Amino acid sequence: MADKMDIDAVNGDKQAEAVAPVQEKSVERIITDNFILLAQAVETFDARFTLRALRSISTVRKAKNTPAPILHGIRTAFPKPDFSARKVLESVLPQKGEVLQNGSSTPVKGGDEEVIPEIWSYLGVLVQVYLYDTQQYQKGADFSDKFVDKLRSFNRRTLDPIGAKAYFYYSLFHEQLDPKPPSRQSPVIEIRPKLLQAQRSAVIRKDADTEAAVTVLLLRSYISTADITQADLLIAQTQFPSTASNNQVCRYLYYLGRVRAIQLAYTQAQEHLVSATRKSPTSGPAIGFYQQATKLLIVVELLMGDIPERSLFRQPQLESALYPYLKLVQAVRVGDLEAFLKCVETHSAQFRKDGTFTLIQRLRQNVIKTGVRMLSLSYSRISLRDICTRLHISSEESAEYITAKAIRDGVIEASLDHQNGHMLTTPPKDAYGTTEPSEAFHARISALLGMRDECVMAMRYPMHKHKQEIAEAAKAREREREIAKEIIEGEGDVDEGDEGGFEGM
Amino acid sequence: MAEKELKSIITHLQSLKPNTLSTAPSLLSRAKLALLKLDALIPSPKTSPAHLELAQTVLELGAFTSIHLRDTDSFTRYYQYLQPFYSLQTGSKHGRGKKGGNREKVTGLYLLLLLSGGDYAGFHTVLEGLEGSGEESEFIAYPVRLEQALMEGSYDRVWGETKGERVPSEEFGVFSEVLINTIRSEIASCSERAYPSLPISNAKNLLFLDSEGAVVQFAQSRGWVAKDGRIWFPEQEAENAAAERDVVSASGAVIENTLGYARKLETIV
Repeated sequence: MADKMDIDAVNGDKQAEAVAPVQEKSVERIITDNFILLAQAVETFDARFTLRALRSISTVRKAKNTPAPILHGIRTAFPKPDFSARKVLESVLPQKGEVLQNGSSTPVKGGDEEVIPEIWSYLGVLVQVYLYDTQQYQKGADFSDKFVDKLRSFNRRTLDPIGAKAYFYYSLFHEQLDPKPPSRQSPVIEIRPKLLQAQRSAVIRKDADTEAAVTVLLLRSYISTADITQADLLIAQTQFPSTASNNQVCRYLYYLGRVRAIQLAYTQAQEHLVSATRKSPTSGPAIGFYQQATKLLIVVELLMGDIPERSLFRQPQLESALYPYLKLVQAVRVGDLEAFLKCVETHSAQFRKDGTFTLIQRLRQNVIKTGVRMLSLSYSRISLRDICTRLHISSEESAEYITAKAIRDGVIEASLDHQNGHMLTTPPKDAYGTTEPSEAFHARISALLGMRDECVMAMRYPMHKHKQEIAEAAKAREREREIAKEIIEGEGDVDEGDEGGFEGM
Repeated sequence: MAEKELKSIITHLQSLKPNTLSTAPSLLSRAKLALLKLDALIPSPKTSPAHLELAQTVLELGAFTSIHLRDTDSFTRYYQYLQPFYSLQTGSKHGRGKKGGNREKVTGLYLLLLLSGGDYAGFHTVLEGLEGSGEESEFIAYPVRLEQALMEGSYDRVWGETKGERVPSEEFGVFSEVLINTIRSEIASCSERAYPSLPISNAKNLLFLDSEGAVVQFAQSRGWVAKDGRIWFPEQEAENAAAERDVVSASGAVIENTLGYARKLETIV
């Protein structure tokens, strides 16, 4: 990093700390630089600076001796040791910071009273991250409790992105406490009232970041304890803010898809999950989300009766994660009930961990339906006894009922001949003669047009640029006028010269 | 003193014969009043475990009696009452003995109620909330098997399950009638689409009816034509023709769509 070179060259006395590697200094520098960013954010009321500061959290996390830079940061921001805010933060960190006391750090602001709450809350979030990484969940839960209460009392819009992160870790800590969900005694149930209150205040204060984050956390906690009706009510009664960040929208769509899948509303679930997979990041550490969303999408598509495409499984990031699902899809596609049951048994642990096990058990009738459909496509007439043997169904009567139901559900186009025990397939109608193709085209076109509209609305122009543009346009017009004048004058000269001997056309 | 009254009501309820069940509701209301006096109707951290057990027994008895009396509303109410008790139970890891058995029975009955009402979404929601621990119990496996068979369409399996030997307990038997009516109407609608016509004797077997007269009656109630010993289902082609006509009548929609595209394209610079 370029920062390292600068620091080594400029701060000669820091070389004395030969014990600590160079990495550590840059981390401290990052934290102190972020203070400047946060101050700028408050002055310009622009959330982008806060977001930049928050983005550096992942670099700070990876530093080798994590509490030390945070302690250094705290001491830089609050030079006086008995300041209450500083004491609150330091009380949860191990006190190893003596080594760094002699660093050449200058306080960001002059006096204690001027330290902005953003800096304090930023440091609080760093503390939360540290506690989570070192797995001190109980301590983290207690600290977060008080932390979010204090944050709620602030009501500053510049604090919103930081507040959203704080709520996220608050909920995360409580999830790790015993008894873990899906038990009904889990602490996640106890924090729900607080999250609900936070959501209401966020709506009133028009705090889109916190509102989005808290809604997502609430849905997550409802789903983890299988309180699907409550999750459904929450979705019905609240509106997800449209200005939320892309990551929160992704998460929201994913949870929405899960709730709908459990409620058997597969088409809706598939829509949500497709949007979630499209908007999710497909590289880097966040790819786990893409994998989970794709797994759920595959199961929902199977439940709808569609077979997901093979190309989906070939993507390099997904190949190993989706392997059990590939086997599942293969079994369902052929309509082989035995292979399906075997696959479910072998990979049941993986499915349970993904939370898709109960959904997969519903796939049983899909396997049979697909099998019936395959048979109706390949045979124009097939006896019920043969259907029995091929689909491994126990009796002819069952086969008859199953085929009758399949016909009624519109899975196949056929008729049954009871006397001879046959199923007769009706020849397929020409699909291009119906309105199906035009409907499919229309759906696709409206989706694309909608996307274009969203893009246009989402384009951001830097402020005051338009004034510059007007100035430039005015200058351009001036120049044009001058050029035109010169041309006219020039023409006049040329005209005079014409008589001189221009042998034009 | 309220406790003693409660215990006496419980023993009274448990000894009730089926023909005296009508007295049960009044006994149950007295029991609920006694529970209220003990503050045990809604469980809270303060209620003692003995009171919790008493309350649970009373409510479960109430649930079973409402099943016998075929009162679905009150059964649903008792089920909701029992929910907080059950969630407390999982937390403190109470008995896997008799108490555990009753809980699964009540849940299984509720699942069956949802099934016979055709509320598959509710069925699956409750199933998700079972945390996978109830899967081994026969009371829960029974509705799950039924649902599988229903969704597949193998109605003869459903018929077999409800026909007596496989039913876990008599309360489940109460639902058998409702279930059979459900599957009968399902089979009827399937047969309408699948068969051009059926001889009446075959229809008798398919629909699990007892006599040909019953078949004719059923056919008339569904609007089918019965003559020459066969049942003729109303023409399905009428529906198909309607679908075909759509192409022509859809031209209005096509024009609208195309105009929309033209408008949007104009806005794209």
